[in-house]
Amino acid sequence: MSEGITSEKGKVSVVNGMSIMTVGGHIDTMETVDIVFKEQRKLSFTYGAIFFVVTLAVPASSVWVESWYATPIWGGFTWNYLFVSLIYFVFLWGMAWSFSKQADKLDDRINSMADAAEAELKKGGGAS
Amino acid sequence: MNMIAVYLVVGLILFTIALSVFSRRFTRTTADFYLAGRKIGAFTNASAISGDYLSAASFLGVAAAVYASGLDGVWYAAGFAGGFMVVVLFIASPLRRFGEYTVADFAFGRFGTNRMRLLTVLSVLLVSMFYMAPQMFGAGTTWQVLVGAGILGMNPYTSGVVVVAGIMMFYVAVGGMKGTTLNQVFQFWWLWFAMFLVVIFAFGSGFSYPDALARQSESKLTGTKTMSVADLTAPIKDPKTGEPVINEETGQPKTAYDNAKATMSPAAFAKVEEVIAAGDETAKVDVLLGQGNKLHTLRTMLFAEPGHRYNPLDQFSMVLALVLGTAGLPHILNRYYTNPSGAAARRSTFWVLIFIGTFYIFAPIVGLAGRGIISDAVSNGTYNATAPVVDGILVKADQLMPTIGLMLGGDWLMGIVTAGAFAAMFSTIGGLLIAAASAIGHDVYEKYINTDASEAKRVAVAKVSVVSFALIALGIGIGIPASGLDKAYPALIAMMVTWAFAVGASAFVPVLLTGIWWKGTTEKGALAGMFVGLSGSISIIFLNILMQLKVIPATGVLGFFGALTFPVIFTFPVALLTIFLVSKFDGKVPDNIDEIWMRIHGTASERHERDVEASIAKAAK
Repeated sequence: MSEGITSEKGKVSVVNGMSIMTVGGHIDTMETVDIVFKEQRKLSFTYGAIFFVVTLAVPASSVWVESWYATPIWGGFTWNYLFVSLIYFVFLWGMAWSFSKQADKLDDRINSMADAAEAELKKGGGAS
Repeated sequence: MNMIAVYLVVGLILFTIALSVFSRRFTRTTADFYLAGRKIGAFTNASAISGDYLSAASFLGVAAAVYASGLDGVWYAAGFAGGFMVVVLFIASPLRRFGEYTVADFAFGRFGTNRMRLLTVLSVLLVSMFYMAPQMFGAGTTWQVLVGAGILGMNPYTSGVVVVAGIMMFYVAVGGMKGTTLNQVFQFWWLWFAMFLVVIFAFGSGFSYPDALARQSESKLTGTKTMSVADLTAPIKDPKTGEPVINEETGQPKTAYDNAKATMSPAAFAKVEEVIAAGDETAKVDVLLGQGNKLHTLRTMLFAEPGHRYNPLDQFSMVLALVLGTAGLPHILNRYYTNPSGAAARRSTFWVLIFIGTFYIFAPIVGLAGRGIISDAVSNGTYNATAPVVDGILVKADQLMPTIGLMLGGDWLMGIVTAGAFAAMFSTIGGLLIAAASAIGHDVYEKYINTDASEAKRVAVAKVSVVSFALIALGIGIGIPASGLDKAYPALIAMMVTWAFAVGASAFVPVLLTGIWWKGTTEKGALAGMFVGLSGSISIIFLNILMQLKVIPATGVLGFFGALTFPVIFTFPVALLTIFLVSKFDGKVPDNIDEIWMRIHGTASERHERDVEASIAKAAK
């Protein structure tokens, strides 16, 4: 273990030229972690792109789109006021709910994959 | 003095102390003190995170910002909520999987050097200090409205700061994270219901959201300002050229005096004339001024339109500061370590968004309602609050919440609202004190000063750190009015919190994002990026303050940077670019990068913890 990693977090060893981390009876291999990372990155950055595009579209519209910021559509509400004071929150809730569900599904898939890789490694006697 | 409010606040304080004393038994180890044993469930943690997050800025400041600025103020609500999306999408789960106690632990674990840890500790302390200042200012101003009198020979403002700092020292030092968490849960729900009640009372009094917005947007937005006679009568200068601005109709230089005369009622303006006639150029006077539009300079500034606070650049910069800043608040990030798993961290954040989202929908309603309700009460002679007004507009917008509580629901609602304000301060200050204590006690003392310290000694150091940091915050709180900041900025509380967001967003978020998502980030890159983000954001904020206080001119290079209300639009990308470029040139990723990667993105640890919990549950049956 390096100085930066506390030993309670797990044991790292190299089996058949492959780095594996063992925590309790469970194993992560660099291969499975890379798959996790790529899938998670795709999910997070896709949602992140949608979030930032929508969020920054609001000030952009406030600067350049007069019908957005200056035309009342319901009493004193302009689209700008209605979006920032109400609709934006619904957008956030929808994003967070959808992302959490997707990430949970991804976790389940990853755990099954990791369990399978773990069983394979244990069968081969590579780790305990 | 509103005795019901005093009783409710005293009751809140006693309950807080009782919870802390009850929690003492759970703070025997440092894991208990800093992380409540990592066993806080999603709903409880979400309530506690919400309490941690909703500070005086949210409870007093957001409604006040909407009251003072209309739509530009509403952005505080949306941006504060939006910040949690960045946390849930990019940071919550990996940070929890990595484990540890603090953000500095992450920095050390990811990059492996002491200097990285120490720079992170310094950043944590500075961000916490920036965030603590408005809480202390809120404590003083709320005390002014609530009690209106000082204790032990101090003025009311200082009394409020001293009392709140003293209580916080006690309850955080005694209760640790467990006590703070329990308190934050209670305090969050108290302040949520207080805001909810004000909204219910507003609608009960005949408030209609679309109609009230239409009414407030019928004419030019007005705002109060406390000015010296000299400033009131001096020609207004163009900030870019420094030349006097000429009134096209009269051919004379424009003055605030002319604006006030055109905006105020004859009766109110007569009082201003009296002060001017007395001949003291330094005498202060409260005036009501028609507001300009910084975004669309040729348009009349209306309540429902953007532009009161922010020019085009600031519109973007403010949004970025708010949505990126949340992910850079150490007291919020530390809370993610208290979740049992990465998935629980995500679930917590979803609930946080529901809790604070509803709160932030309510706050702008109160800000808008306050504008009509208070001015109507002044017009028909039923205004019975102590907060000063000019032509029905509060002189200090930050006094809106307790004032509207009194107007709508009498002493009881004002009491509930005032206790809510203190709850907001307590819950946030509690989180900040824990974050600061962990930075000193855990990241410095345990790692460098006494690595073999016993658990009892470590907990004792944590408590001393809490007291020390609270004393520093006390000094800052007392110093704010002396600096003149409260007169330089409308709705100062929300403004100061945004500065903390800007520093956090610039110092931490680039390092966290690259450290988690880019394997090629090197220690030198992270160090340089954090330094650039931290120093750049703080420098620009101080330039802005100096410009507002008229210490530096509004022209030239200093004027350009000083005009940036929120530095994030520059400092965040520059910090990110610095990390990228220095890392590319350096190329030395930590030797154990695969191991680090497995800790951040692997699931073995979580699967192990799941097994352990299952076996504990089985044994319990």
